Amino acid sequence: MSQLFELARSTVARAQALGAHEVSVSVSRSTEISMMRRAGKLEQATQATSLGLSLSLLVDDRYSGHATSDLRPEALEAFLRRAIDATRVLEPEPERRQPDVADCGRGASEELLDSFDASRGALPVETRREAAERLEAAVDALPHREQVLSATIYAGDSEEESVRVMSNGFEGARRGTGFGAGVEMTLEEPGGRRPEAMAWYGANHRGDLPGAEAIAAEAWKRAAERLGAKPIASGRYPMLLQNHAAGRILGVIGGPLSGSELHQQRSFLSGRKDTPIASDRLTLTDVPDIPRAPGSRPWDGDGLVARRMPLIESGILRNYYINTYYGRKLGTPPTTGGRSNWVVSPGSRSPAEILRDVSRCIVVTGFLGGNSNGLTGDFSFGVQGLLVERGEVVGHIGEMNVSGNIEEVLKALVEPSTDVWTWSSLRAPSLFFDGIQFSGT
Amino acid sequence: MTHFSQFGIDAALCQRVLQAALSRGADDADLFFEHSGSTSVALSDNKVNRASTHVDLGVGVRVVVGDQVGYAYTEDLTDTSMIQAARIAAEIAAGNRQHAPVSISEKRLADRYRASVPWEDVSLETRVRMVRDWEARAFAADPRVLKVETSLGDSYKHVLVVRPDGRAVYDYQPMTRGWVVVTAKDGERRESSAANLAQRAGLEFYTEERVARLCQKAVADTVALFEATKAPAGEMTVVLGAGSSGILLHEAIGHGLEADFNRKGISIFADRVGTRIAPEGVTVVDDGTLPFARGTINTDDEGNPAERTVLVENGILRGFLHDEISARHYGVAPTGSGRRESFRHVVLPRMRSTYMDPGPHAPEEIIASVDRGIYCADFANGQVQIGAGDFAFYVRRGYLIEGGKLTRPIKDVNLIGNGPDVLASIEMVGNDLHIDEGGWTCGKDGQSVPVSQGMPTVKVSKLSVGGVSQ
Repeated sequence: MSQLFELARSTVARAQALGAHEVSVSVSRSTEISMMRRAGKLEQATQATSLGLSLSLLVDDRYSGHATSDLRPEALEAFLRRAIDATRVLEPEPERRQPDVADCGRGASEELLDSFDASRGALPVETRREAAERLEAAVDALPHREQVLSATIYAGDSEEESVRVMSNGFEGARRGTGFGAGVEMTLEEPGGRRPEAMAWYGANHRGDLPGAEAIAAEAWKRAAERLGAKPIASGRYPMLLQNHAAGRILGVIGGPLSGSELHQQRSFLSGRKDTPIASDRLTLTDVPDIPRAPGSRPWDGDGLVARRMPLIESGILRNYYINTYYGRKLGTPPTTGGRSNWVVSPGSRSPAEILRDVSRCIVVTGFLGGNSNGLTGDFSFGVQGLLVERGEVVGHIGEMNVSGNIEEVLKALVEPSTDVWTWSSLRAPSLFFDGIQFSGT
Repeated sequence: MTHFSQFGIDAALCQRVLQAALSRGADDADLFFEHSGSTSVALSDNKVNRASTHVDLGVGVRVVVGDQVGYAYTEDLTDTSMIQAARIAAEIAAGNRQHAPVSISEKRLADRYRASVPWEDVSLETRVRMVRDWEARAFAADPRVLKVETSLGDSYKHVLVVRPDGRAVYDYQPMTRGWVVVTAKDGERRESSAANLAQRAGLEFYTEERVARLCQKAVADTVALFEATKAPAGEMTVVLGAGSSGILLHEAIGHGLEADFNRKGISIFADRVGTRIAPEGVTVVDDGTLPFARGTINTDDEGNPAERTVLVENGILRGFLHDEISARHYGVAPTGSGRRESFRHVVLPRMRSTYMDPGPHAPEEIIASVDRGIYCADFANGQVQIGAGDFAFYVRRGYLIEGGKLTRPIKDVNLIGNGPDVLASIEMVGNDLHIDEGGWTCGKDGQSVPVSQGMPTVKVSKLSVGGVSQ
């Protein structure tokens, strides 16, 4: 870490000597090892260490951002000179000045965030080979192995340490490890279709990953749910959105919540603070201090102390993502520039309990393509899923779209379930909606 | 002139690194040196207020044993670091095959995108003037324009692929992209849209005609959305406008014909070479040779020449897109399709410029043949499931077709279909093939590469349209 600090501090000092008035430098070093197995052998092994530097500059209130991996001293010097020259031709924007150092710093402690698994450094390469072998053995032991046309196994891990040095006086260091394991599985069905699905899990600590059998079983379940998938009639249906897939729908509000989109007048959420934009069953919070969670962080992109922030409380919009720059442009105090973990408050019934009471419902298990319009909130996504009647799966659905306006859809939320997904930065339970537009045949 | 100096290395060092890579008896190996850089300037709030630059330098070492790959990379191009990377990559091998060192000779394979005015010779002041000019044109195009953002980016890549057979293939790959984003207001309604143009070219790319087209399109596409309403829902006839609707080919068939998916048996097209997969008259090509196109390459990232690869000829599936590993597997020549995002990534078979050859029909004739359906004019993004064959693409803007005429404008709708089904249901192919000049980027296995796509006007009898029930 001290080497990284040395490089970051000397770069700040050199940029200032060359004429920059404010400088922020990040230096990060990472290592990664990954293994991919298929058909009984190791198909790919990758290993690397990487070092990179990025900086942002303010020269006479003119702003620019730069990155390089060519850290040879003469190359770095030339890079800094070019960066500063490039900045001088711009127009000034004092709003780009760094925040007050009093607002910068660490939120949660390194101990609380617990994102570094110290055992990684001592792991021999063979551990990853063995992890991939175990996962492949678990796939081979599946009860319906003969229906699996191909299974690709992924196992790997990484470690990153980074430092941030800002000319306002803020300095910080953070480190983290990541372990991942997954199976991509292709099945075969009559007629030549080969439905595929992936189950992938990531964790900061090696011991937190699910066991090989659980990963193989989940990949099988997801792929098998796509066998014989076909569209059903267009219309409005109740929808149970599975927990791991919820990000695609909730993510529609991500852009419109951002300061840049508000400032550019491209957000349908502009002027909607403290008004209802969702059902009173929806509470969504940005939580940067969840131990061992992928989106956790001690500070944000501006170096501001990371804090919990309510986004939607019982359906009411409470906050936007506003960094220092857009805060000054919009004349409002900054919150934070971008999301950490999103936490959706759970309800009181399991997905099975909810589905038992619904005569006919589409369970959305995954998405295919699609996009949204941040000015209107309209979206349209391809979906895969299950047709469920009174809790019983009666068909597999594919080649269909779900469409609507995100505000109308969030207002149609009947209840969140209890099964919070903990493997991504979106920690949501399955969500049950009524009257959602699907198009098929 | 040797290009080794571009990376601060020499041929003898490459020999030593290759020997380390082959030291455990691998079948093959390569060194992929890359020195890339980019500059962009951007305007928003009536100010040219943001610049960025980026420099990347490194080498990827690949060791190949059959279809197994060991890979390592480093940004430190010293003897010690590169040989260490080569030894790590070599760990995948455990054989006794010997490779005698051969002398390395430098080659360039083609010259398809030489910039007349390279970006190195263009001042930042010129770039600033350009993005200001684009802003002024966008504001002047329509009084409803409320906000304009513009940006100009350019980049270069020096690549050098060194192989054990003595080949050292060098290429210089320029790229530029211009963006205009417009937000307009009509009464209480606001809409926003963007247009961009990209090519492997220098400053000469931005002709008066292109700049006018870029700014005009950004504004026209935005204000057209004021009239547009939601699309209908369900299966219907779809007419794809010429140009960027090549996204349909990219998703419906292009990815499924990348040979790695077929080698593994996981593509829906795996067993169909030599069979009919589309009607007579449908010919689909993936072409790495179109002068200056964004998807064009002089060499692929394994040092093989790019070519024009016919994938579907008059409806018959002719073959796949190959890198060396899949070509060896199938016993065919590589198609020059081995590409990677950077030295940090392994080679995969990838598309370059994918398009359909033109057919006999006038576009008006195609539209006139549809009683009820939709016409797709402008696209955002797409995705495919290789095995099931289901694919989707997002239509930013289009029209209803009623009684053979374009009527109500529509917007923001996802279309979904199954690749083989949709290819089989192509009913008419227009005579107006157009290769789109947009800055398309293709993602696969976490790697992004620049691509182009093109299409004549095409009629598909049935696709599922993700609109709302009427």
